[in-house]
Amino acid sequence: MDNLFIAATERSPEVAFDAAAGTLRIKGESYPEDASQVFGPIFNVLQDYLGQADGNGLKVDFELIYFNSSSAKALMNMFQMLENATDVDIVVNWQFMADDETMKEFGEDFSEDLEHVTFNLVPVS
Amino acid sequence: MSEGTGKGGFSLFDAEERILDGARRLLDRMKDGDPDLLAEVGVLADAYSRSVREQRRLVKVSDRLQNQMTQLNQELARRRAEAEEALEQLRQAQETLVQTEKLASLGALVGGVAHEINTPVGIALSCASHLDDSTKAIRALFEADDVGVDDFERYMDTAADTAKLIVANCERAADLIRSFKQVAVDRTSSERRVFRLADTITETVTSLRPNLRQGGHEIEIACPADLEVDGYPGVISQILTNFVMNSLTHGYADGRRGRLHVEADRGENDHVRLRYRDDGQGISEEYRNRVFDPFFTTRRGSGGSGLGLHIVFNLVTGPLGGSVVLENTPSAGASFLLEFPRVAP
Repeated sequence: MDNLFIAATERSPEVAFDAAAGTLRIKGESYPEDASQVFGPIFNVLQDYLGQADGNGLKVDFELIYFNSSSAKALMNMFQMLENATDVDIVVNWQFMADDETMKEFGEDFSEDLEHVTFNLVPVS
Repeated sequence: MSEGTGKGGFSLFDAEERILDGARRLLDRMKDGDPDLLAEVGVLADAYSRSVREQRRLVKVSDRLQNQMTQLNQELARRRAEAEEALEQLRQAQETLVQTEKLASLGALVGGVAHEINTPVGIALSCASHLDDSTKAIRALFEADDVGVDDFERYMDTAADTAKLIVANCERAADLIRSFKQVAVDRTSSERRVFRLADTITETVTSLRPNLRQGGHEIEIACPADLEVDGYPGVISQILTNFVMNSLTHGYADGRRGRLHVEADRGENDHVRLRYRDDGQGISEEYRNRVFDPFFTTRRGSGGSGLGLHIVFNLVTGPLGGSVVLENTPSAGASFLLEFPRVAP
């Protein structure tokens, strides 16, 4: 099972996936030219991992400051994928700056369709 | 293409596309069935397909707008940084100019000093030369054994007169040098000390005498001799110099003889009130609000820098921790009132 690390760029977030630990962290800003280029590799490793989790859980930390609409769409797809993996214990921590109402609302929107995934809103300052 | 299938090999609308494919297959399977049912499902599939197209369009438009906004924000930040840098450069340039102006006025002071000392030194020199001549003459008579009582008495008178003049003028020169030295030291060192305000005013006025005498101007000083100030004599000196030079340049340009006044006294709350006024042509109403602005001058062409009163303002509000106003006067002339704490902050 491969790990994945993608350094942040000016317009894309840092991505760190640790297969052994079962953790994924997406951190920074996301308004890339092509959202599928940024999120495609994440989708691939998640798909692999969720397909052969074998009792292991998954923790996903989102530490996003800003994202554009196609990134939002990609995130929605990602949550759908997580929600569909009913045989894996999944915890999502949605971090946002305590004074960023918008980012909090995005988190609430994403969590609405989730039943199987544990979704935590985590305000930070 | 934000929603395209890039190198990552997935479409943002993958799920929607699969459902659309499913719908197409369903319609295909239903094509021989109930035409009404087929039509209704067809309407639903069309509506969904349009909705997905609309979503794609919205995502694309929204991405573009967010992009533009980000670029605008970056541009804004860049412009702002540029503007701030330009402002900082301007401030530095202004600071440099102010310094230059101060040095220039110090240069004028040195010029005045040279001129002022020249007079007593010149008198002393000609007295000494006259005494030398007389001594040679009486020596010649003496060596010829031809000195009369009259000759000797005349020589004694000459020697006494010239010696007295030499001493008086050398003392005068020494006094001048002493007061100029104080002014120059204060002006350049900006050192803080306790000083008698009257002395500083007098010394400064003395250093300005050559400029005043040229136009036949007179200056009157009224200040309690025992008024002591703990602060910056150089600053007071600079302020007075700028006031006087301002009067000479602007107030009496028409060649009139002026009477200038410096009046200082104790004010309330251990403050000093210092009024400077002249009886020149005054400051016209339209300029009154701008006299303290940097680079404001009505004499740009003829060498005015527009910094004189601005420097006064900075010195009064800065080192002295006080205020300066241009007063409304019923009579002609300009009048400035300074108020500052007797002990500088």
